[in-house]
Amino acid sequence: MRRRNLTAYGFLSPYLLIFAAFWLWPIIYSFYLSFLSTRRAPWTFNPSMTWLRITQDTAFYNALWNTLKILAIQVPAMVFLATVLAVLLNSQLLRARGLIRFAFFAPVVIGEAAYAAVFRLMFNTDFGIVNKTLQAIGLSKVDWFANPSAAMSLIIMAVTWRWVGYNAIIILSGLQSIQTDVYEAATLERVSPRQQFFHITLPLLRPVLVFCFVLSVIGSMQLFAEPYLITNMGGPGGATETLGLFLYRQGFLNLNFGYASAIAYTIAALAVAISALNMWIGRDRT
Amino acid sequence: MKSVIGCALATLIFASGAAQAQSEITVWSWGSAAPGLEATIPGFNAEHPDITVKVEKLGYSDVKSRVLAACAAGGVGLPDVFQFQNIEMELITAQFPECAADLVPLGFDAGAQSAFPEFKLFALRDEDRMLGMPWDSGPVVMFYRRDFYDKAGVDADSLTTWDDFMTAGAAIQAANPGVTMINDNLNGGTENFRMIAEEQNCGYFTNDGQAISVAEPGCVAALETVKTMVDDKLVAAADFNQKITNVTANAVATLMNGAWMEGVIRNGAPADQSGKWGVAIMPSITADGAHASNFGGSLLAIANNSDKKAAAYTFLSYALGTKAGQITMLKDQGLVPSLTSALEDPYVDEPSAFWGGQKIWKLILGRLPLISPINGSEFFSDADQVMLSVQTAYLNGQYTSAQEAMDDAAKQIGFATGLPIAQ
Repeated sequence: MRRRNLTAYGFLSPYLLIFAAFWLWPIIYSFYLSFLSTRRAPWTFNPSMTWLRITQDTAFYNALWNTLKILAIQVPAMVFLATVLAVLLNSQLLRARGLIRFAFFAPVVIGEAAYAAVFRLMFNTDFGIVNKTLQAIGLSKVDWFANPSAAMSLIIMAVTWRWVGYNAIIILSGLQSIQTDVYEAATLERVSPRQQFFHITLPLLRPVLVFCFVLSVIGSMQLFAEPYLITNMGGPGGATETLGLFLYRQGFLNLNFGYASAIAYTIAALAVAISALNMWIGRDRT
Repeated sequence: MKSVIGCALATLIFASGAAQAQSEITVWSWGSAAPGLEATIPGFNAEHPDITVKVEKLGYSDVKSRVLAACAAGGVGLPDVFQFQNIEMELITAQFPECAADLVPLGFDAGAQSAFPEFKLFALRDEDRMLGMPWDSGPVVMFYRRDFYDKAGVDADSLTTWDDFMTAGAAIQAANPGVTMINDNLNGGTENFRMIAEEQNCGYFTNDGQAISVAEPGCVAALETVKTMVDDKLVAAADFNQKITNVTANAVATLMNGAWMEGVIRNGAPADQSGKWGVAIMPSITADGAHASNFGGSLLAIANNSDKKAAAYTFLSYALGTKAGQITMLKDQGLVPSLTSALEDPYVDEPSAFWGGQKIWKLILGRLPLISPINGSEFFSDADQVMLSVQTAYLNGQYTSAQEAMDDAAKQIGFATGLPIAQ
């Protein structure tokens, strides 16, 4: 190796060592662990307790199904809302733009534990403001934490509330990077604002939207804090248990590290596959 | 100004030098157990002024997950002493036998152990080693609102079976609008199910911990009872904190719990509820049942990598191992002593004003000998998670019968643990 390269690696070595110890080694070691039965000491080679179990475990399929439900409903809904919000925030008619942009971005800044506590209070079955409001307008109250579908929609609402502003700001920056002369030309050609949106804005925004989709998909695959804190560790009875929470349960509450490693590898593979699909759908067709 | 700081600094250095013999131990604890333990510190310091005890109160699941994570990391980050539930302790004894210190060489020998009942020692034993000291136990009783029951003309002591309880519940709810008969942590736990099942002598595992017993008749009947109560709208879902909220809001007539809830209600209820509460024996599925069950109950363990094990053991043997320590916690927080000798203290015969002058401890401690202890085994968390999701599915009508639900639960637990289903 050339001397110059050696020097470069010398300078890189502190980082490389940390990377090897805290990233590379755990990745390799957990792959090895995923073939062991870690139910009782000593750990033995027994992939039927991990990889075979994962193919047949109803609790795993439940967590997978919940995660996919969130992916399929929350991610598109949020990106749609974020796009609408970005277009509105970009409007010339809007007053106090800085303040309003910050207001929509603010939820991301709030700690998860704090906002989860507020959501729990607001959606409390007997005393929460949401149910009181529902009853005041003549609707029946919803048992947000006991009804599986209601709990799932609560999680989706909470995650959307938290991240919609963040995505809107990203899309807003995409909107602002579109040259105004494109719109001027279109207006001169008497293209209606609606057509301008569908034929100019959306196609030019595609790379930004794909970016938002991929980020949100990865975020949803790892969703943990909301079901842990808001719906009482994935309640009711696992109805909002996500893959992230299931992994945590198996690894750190049941101390089943072998099975948890197998789940971790499955989640990573799924995230890669879904992101690749997203990018393939959103690719430039030239 | 500078000289003042200098002086202060010198004093500080001098003071810390002089206090070198002083050792400080940190304890992780949760719920009402934490203030209970704190209440023993003045008495302890009167005998051992050289040991400072700092109790850090965390949530129950925080203590559990932090302790397990620390044990998995070889004990890094553990305090000197930590609380753990008896029923979950085998997770540590089986997986991380080196995480908790063996208390036998510190002084917890056979003689000292014999001051505690066997059912509290069982989960702490790892061959000849003892990985913790028993703290409290949780004989299950019904905490009820006398005024709500009276308004419906119900005598709490006459509710022998769960059918009686449900009939009374409908009357009580009719007489007290806005009040629910009982609370259960339906969404995040299986509390009521476990209490009712254990009363029928059924747990997740057989007593030797080698087979799954959740599909046995006692557990099936318990699940049916839980569903009937939910279907009759006699239950409001509430986790631990929501139960306290409901108590404060006069929204619940009965709480079924381990006796340690006594201090939580007494110290947490508004002052105008004093005298309005009572304690009753739990109902049974059959009239001739044991009417006794255990829920909760903890131990204190010493971290194996603590460098103050001797000081920590000195504190344990005072707080948990003496009558004075245990009675302090009983008075302050209603923690039922595991220490057998403490049960004969004159205090247990005294009436309690908050509980309407009732001699509650006589009733509660009378349950202790009737409890048939349940083996949690090291797979308790696995089984409990399965049970929770099966219970939810059953309550939502996803099984045709309780037996079918429990057969499925047994199958899933078997899958997670590798244990056979008891025949």
